[in-house]
Amino acid sequence: MTARLRRSAWPLVLTVWLLAFGGCAAGPERGPVTLVFKYARILGNADPLPELLRAFEAAHPGVRVKGEALPWASDDQHQFYVINLEGRSPGFDVMMLDCIWVPEFARAGWLLDLTSHLQPDELAPYFPSAVASATYGGRVWALPWNFNVGLLYYRADLLAKYGLRPPETYEELVEQVRRVRAGERDPALDGYVWQGKQYEGLVVNVLEAFWANGARLLAEDGTVFPEPARAADALRFLRGLIETGVSPAWTTAADEELSRRAFGDGHAIFLRNWPYAMDLFEGKGSAVRGKVAFAPLPGRARGEPGAGSTGGAHLGVSSRSRHPDLAMALARHLTSESAQRAIALGAALSPARQALYRDAELVRSHPAMPRLQALALAGRPRPVTPYYLLLSATVQPEFSAALVGVKPPERAIADAGTRLAYFLRAVR
Amino acid sequence: MTGREAAARRRALVCVGPTVLALGALTVYPGVWVLWLSFQRRIPIFDVSRFAGFENYAFLAVDSRFWSAAHTTAVFTLGSVALEVVLGVAAALAIHAQQRGRKVSLSLLLLAWAMPAVVGAKLFEWLYHPAAGLINVALGRHAINWLGDPSVALPAVILADVWRTMPFVAILCYARLLAIPADVYEAAQVDGAGRIATLTRITLPLLGRILLLAVLFRTLDALRAFDIMFVLTGGGPAGTTETLTVYAYRALFQTLQLGFGSAVSVVVFALVMAVAWAYLRLLRTGTVAA
Repeated sequence: MTARLRRSAWPLVLTVWLLAFGGCAAGPERGPVTLVFKYARILGNADPLPELLRAFEAAHPGVRVKGEALPWASDDQHQFYVINLEGRSPGFDVMMLDCIWVPEFARAGWLLDLTSHLQPDELAPYFPSAVASATYGGRVWALPWNFNVGLLYYRADLLAKYGLRPPETYEELVEQVRRVRAGERDPALDGYVWQGKQYEGLVVNVLEAFWANGARLLAEDGTVFPEPARAADALRFLRGLIETGVSPAWTTAADEELSRRAFGDGHAIFLRNWPYAMDLFEGKGSAVRGKVAFAPLPGRARGEPGAGSTGGAHLGVSSRSRHPDLAMALARHLTSESAQRAIALGAALSPARQALYRDAELVRSHPAMPRLQALALAGRPRPVTPYYLLLSATVQPEFSAALVGVKPPERAIADAGTRLAYFLRAVR
Repeated sequence: MTGREAAARRRALVCVGPTVLALGALTVYPGVWVLWLSFQRRIPIFDVSRFAGFENYAFLAVDSRFWSAAHTTAVFTLGSVALEVVLGVAAALAIHAQQRGRKVSLSLLLLAWAMPAVVGAKLFEWLYHPAAGLINVALGRHAINWLGDPSVALPAVILADVWRTMPFVAILCYARLLAIPADVYEAAQVDGAGRIATLTRITLPLLGRILLLAVLFRTLDALRAFDIMFVLTGGGPAGTTETLTVYAYRALFQTLQLGFGSAVSVVVFALVMAVAWAYLRLLRTGTVAA
C-alpha cells in the first residue's frame, strides 16, 4: 500500500519541479519594468534616497525602482559585486561604486560605457579629480555621486590661544604640537591623530605623506615606487611622529572613527580625516563644538605642498542591465544637482558637483562648504588603475610594518616592490 | 560467493551510493578543482588564465608574507588550544565541585559559546579600545595599545578567541565528569588518596579521551581561524595577526587571484588533513585510555 502510494507520488513531484523551473524560465517581462539600484545605506539625520527614487518613478510611469542595500564595509561590497558580476547573474542595473573600483570593473567588462550617452559638457560641473577616477582608457564608466578629500582638522581655539596659524608643513605641525602641549600641561591631550591601522585608510594616509615628500606609489608608465628613497623617507617621518609622541601609540590601530572620536572628545590638537567629521564636531553635545576648523593637509619643509587624497562614490550602470537607457536615466537623476543637494542636506556626504559648494541653501546649513571646495579642487586621486586593490592589499602590511617599527622603511618599500612586481607580471 | 552474499553486497552498494555521490559532488569535486586551480595563473576579471605548474607554490616557498601567516597560524593554534584546554578543564572541575547554581554557571559559560564569532570579536574591539575600552580605563596610566602593538596584538586576539571557545571544552569535560561513577572516588578515598592524587590519578586520566576529541575539534577550528582576526585587526599590525586563511581570503576574494589563492588554500587543507590524521591515529591506537 505504502509502496504504491510512493510510486504514485512521483508524477506529482515531477510536476512540481517542472512548474518551479517553468516559472523561473518564463523570462520576458510583462507589465511594469523594475530597475534595481544597489547602494550602501546613507547615514545622516534623514535618508533622502527613498524620496529620490519615488520622484524618478513619478517621472517615468510604468517603471519601478527597487533600492537594495549593500553590506556596510567597502571590502564586503566589493566582494558582493565581484561574485555577482563574475557569476553573470547581476540582478541589478545601477550600482554605487567606490571610486577606486571603476577601472577594475571597466576592464572586466562589467560597466556600461557611458561616453556616448553623455552630453558634450555634462561632466564639466564635477570636480576634475572625480571625473578622472570615473574615466579609464579614455572612456567614462560612471557618474560622480559624492566626493571626499583628506583634510587637516585643528583646534582653532588652542591655536589662537598660542598665537599660531594652521601649519603649512608637517615640521611646523610638530613644533606647534610641542608648544601647545607644553602650555596646556594636559597628559590626556594628544598631538596629531590619523589612520595607521592596517587597512585601506593606512594606504590613503601614507599616500598623502608620499605626495608631500615628492614620492608616488605608481608612475604613469606602471613603475611601482618610482622614487623609493623619498617614499622610504616619508614612511620614516610617519614612524617618527609615533616614536616622538607627536601621534599617540594607538595610531597604529586607528581607523577614521577611532581618530575622529579622540579628536571629537577634545583629546587631540590635529586630526586627518574626511569632510563628514565636520558635521559631527558641530553637532549638539559635541565637546569641540565651535572650536574646530580645517586646513589643507601640510606639505614638507623641503618637499611639495600638501594634497589630500580624494575618494567618494560613483554610480555606474551594469553592462548586463536589460534596460540600459532607463538605468542611465536613473543614474543621471540621482547625480543631478537637485538630488546631490538633497543628499548633502540630509546626509553627511559632500556632493561631487562644484556649484553646490556655493549653493545658498547648503552654505546656510554647512558654512564651511565654500572652503571645502578649494581643498577638494587641490585633492589628488589614488592611483587610477584596474589593479588598485591588488596594489593596496599588497602594500598594507608593509606600510604597517614600517609604522610599528618592525621593518626599516627601505626594506618595507623594497619588499612591497618585489611582491607587486611578481603579481603585476601576471596581469600585464 | 553465494548468491545471498552477492545480493547483500549489491544492496550495500545501493545504500552507500547516494552518500558517495553527495560527498563526491560536494567535497571531492571542489577539492580537486581547487587543486587544479592552484597550478594556474588565473585572474578571471583580467582574462588571465594559463597553466603555471608549480609557479604559485615556488613563490609561496620564498614568500615572507606566507611564512609569516604560517607562523601566526601556528602560534595562534598552539596558544589558543593550550589555554582553552587548561581553562576549560579548570572550569569544568569548578562547576562539578559547585554545590548549588550549576545550571546558572553552565548557562553563563554557554552564552559566550553561543555568541556568533563576529559579535564576540566586536565586543572585544570595544574592550580593547585604546581610550574608551573597559580594560584600558581600568589600567589607567598603564594603558596598553592592544591591537596596534605588533607584540601584543596576537596575544590579544588569542585571548578573545579563548574567551569564546573555552566553554566548548568546559562543557565536554563537564559531561564526562558527570559520567564518572561515584564509587571510583569512594574507592580512592578508602585507599587514602589525597585531593591531588585523585585529580592526577583518576579524574584527568578519565578525561583523557574526551579531551583529545575536544583538542581535535579546537585545533582544526583554530587552524582555519578567520573571523576573529578579520574583525579585530584585519591582519595587522604589520601582518602579525594574519593567518593563512586571512591570506587566502585576501588573495581569492579581495585581489581575485584564483590560482595563487587556491595554492594557499591547498596548503591550509593539507595542514588540516595532516593534523586530523595524526589525531585520529592517536585516538585509534588508544594511547590514551578512557
